[in-house]
Amino acid sequence: MAHIQIENLSITYQSPQDGKPFVAVDSVNLTIDQGEFVTIVGSSGCGKSSMLMAIDGLIAKEGRVLVNGREVNAPGPERAMVFQEFALMPWRSVLQNVLFGLELQRWKGGDRIKRARHYVNLVGLSGFEDYYPHQLSGGMRQRVGIARALAVDPEILLMDEPFGALDAQTRDVMGDELLKIWDREKKTALFVTHSIDEAIFLGDRVVVMQKGPGRIKVVIKIDFPRPRAVELRDEPEFATYRRRIRDLLSTEVQELQRIKEDSHG
Amino acid sequence: MADSAPKAGRDVSSFSADSRWHKPVVGLISVGLFLAVWEMAPRLGWIDPFYTSAPARMYSVGLEVFQSGELMENIRVSLVEFCWGFALALLAGIPLGLLLGTNATARALLDPLVTALYCMPRLALLPVIIMWLGIGMESKVVVVLIGAVLPIIVNTMAGIREVDPNWARAAVSFGASRLDVFVKVLLPGSVPAVLTGVRLGLGRGILGVVIAEMYVSVAGVGHLIVTYGAAMRVDHLVFYSMLVSVFGFAAVTAVGKVEERLQSWRGD
Amino acid sequence: MVIFARFKSFWLGTLSFAVLLVLWESLVRLGWINPFLTSSPTDIAVHFVRQTQSGELSVNLGVSLLEFALGFGGAVVAGILMGILMGWYRLLEYTLEPFVWFLYSAPLIAFYPLFVIWLGLGAPTVIAITFLFSYAPILVNTASGVKTVDKELLRAAISFGARRSDLFFKVVLPASVPMVMAGLRLGVGRALLGVVVAELFGATAGLGYSINYYGALMQTTDMFVSLVVILVLGVGFTQGVAMLEHRFDSWRVGHEQ
Repeated sequence: MAHIQIENLSITYQSPQDGKPFVAVDSVNLTIDQGEFVTIVGSSGCGKSSMLMAIDGLIAKEGRVLVNGREVNAPGPERAMVFQEFALMPWRSVLQNVLFGLELQRWKGGDRIKRARHYVNLVGLSGFEDYYPHQLSGGMRQRVGIARALAVDPEILLMDEPFGALDAQTRDVMGDELLKIWDREKKTALFVTHSIDEAIFLGDRVVVMQKGPGRIKVVIKIDFPRPRAVELRDEPEFATYRRRIRDLLSTEVQELQRIKEDSHG
Repeated sequence: MADSAPKAGRDVSSFSADSRWHKPVVGLISVGLFLAVWEMAPRLGWIDPFYTSAPARMYSVGLEVFQSGELMENIRVSLVEFCWGFALALLAGIPLGLLLGTNATARALLDPLVTALYCMPRLALLPVIIMWLGIGMESKVVVVLIGAVLPIIVNTMAGIREVDPNWARAAVSFGASRLDVFVKVLLPGSVPAVLTGVRLGLGRGILGVVIAEMYVSVAGVGHLIVTYGAAMRVDHLVFYSMLVSVFGFAAVTAVGKVEERLQSWRGD
Repeated sequence: MVIFARFKSFWLGTLSFAVLLVLWESLVRLGWINPFLTSSPTDIAVHFVRQTQSGELSVNLGVSLLEFALGFGGAVVAGILMGILMGWYRLLEYTLEPFVWFLYSAPLIAFYPLFVIWLGLGAPTVIAITFLFSYAPILVNTASGVKTVDKELLRAAISFGARRSDLFFKVVLPASVPMVMAGLRLGVGRALLGVVVAELFGATAGLGYSINYYGALMQTTDMFVSLVVILVLGVGFTQGVAMLEHRFDSWRVGHEQ
């Protein structure tokens, strides 16, 4: 059953310099099933993050986003977001940050602190409950971000380049651990990234986006069984997927080059 | 701050920038409104004009003192005192700040003294300075100097110390001598902080000359302020109080604008 | 090495103070400078003890501190409240901004005679001047703290379902604490300046009054007693607030002690 349905989603920004409208996302249609892990990959500026923000209801949009068949226009408890720059409250400890979402949603489902501790443990931060964000590494901070999102028990996890600010090694480890957590929690996941490897490794489907304006170029189904392990990245099939997506993204670069030259010539 | 859920898409935008003219227009309207109330309230009998004067009277007082020559003569006295003091503050403050910023031993020796003087209300020294130098121009110049020089020293020093050490390393790796590093890296790198010091010093210096003249003097705008204050001539008093205030405000704002301009050029 | 450097700079600093005092004392003793104009450290110490024993110092200190507490306390409360409102409501910010910057940068002491006409000579005027001197920096810093809250944090809170009051109490207020503290640090020095200067001009007690009084009598040593106390207050207040600021600030800069 369709869990998220995106119909004709367009996003237009006012350019801060000249106030002219700028189309970031243009008539995107996409359906995501219950429990599916969908990754969105594209070069910077293709509107992939804007799309995620619109699905969460954080920015204005045209078109419709339906969750469980109901249209959503504002953030709701069935969706939770993990942010690229972590967006942790610097004056709150790890535990208090995980409690943040529960407080805001006036969580009634029993002991909040117990629940927060559970998710701190789940992301591997037990012992760090009383640390403040500035005392943690980037990877640890994003673990807090993930725990904060999971703690409010959403049906859908929206992740906006969550590992974009991390170094390559940490990034692979986090991806691996995210999958382990996802296997246990069974959320529908929408994951934005600019790393092709990350998109293939994590996703049931990879949405390849092009830019200028942001549109879906193609959706690729990834036929790897789950659970997936790190070694998957060395498989020949993985390389095939990688090459295909890379070609799709680089033809885009070539096309843009051509358009530019045309307009200059 | 109504306790409602923020509307989608509006939320964060209420913190973002709006059109450029919005701010100055609202500001102008509000200042205009303030002047109108100040003018009308005594006329409507809401307040006693003896205590507040009124904007229209400022105009007639201004005209009167300008024609009598009182205005220009006293402005000249105050400005000369201020300019001497501030020029000395720049001449002493910037080199001293540069020295303290670059030389660790000088810093260790003088930093506690500079910090102590920076933190204390130095205008408390006013009676001592008057006792040493008399009630003439010299004491005012010195008051302006000690008011303005410390912010200049402290900010120049901080400016030098906060220059990105990688810039100096880059210069050295291209073969820069110590002098090169100072002239080509530290000096230009610290300009914004020096300007901040100049702006703060300017405010302190203007405050200094006004206070010194008000405390004891025979001429100058500060002198007029206390004279008219003691005579309860509120129209003249308010005129001169507004005059020095607007001057201080304008001078500090002007340096602030230069600072802003410089920062946007440099992209700091 | 770092500890050694710090140790060294501490001793060099103390040394420079000591040299200054010894020089001052010797120049007076050698008769090279006139003690009538400069007094001397030992004389100041003797008079300090005498003023303390007679109770004169504690009376003046008490009056000044009380005026300081009322003026600065009022500025803290009013400045923070108004700063929050101005940071939160943009129309209010635009309306009041010209006045606030005027208060910030104009030599407000010029209005002292007007305050005397309004409030009379003495404590009320001193408190009003103290308030006026320290109000603007606190307000401006609070407002800019509220205004410059990281948009990502607001966005995260909204994403988790924050209401407008949540945004205010759970994000904006805690996030602006460091800026408020910076405002207090700027304000505390200006408040002390306000007390002392206003007392110089007209008061019946207080440290500034005492300087003015002994100045008129040409009793340099007693003037210096009050000046030393003011110096200590200035350093103490500023460093105290700076330490407080540092504590609240630790998460912002991200430095570990």
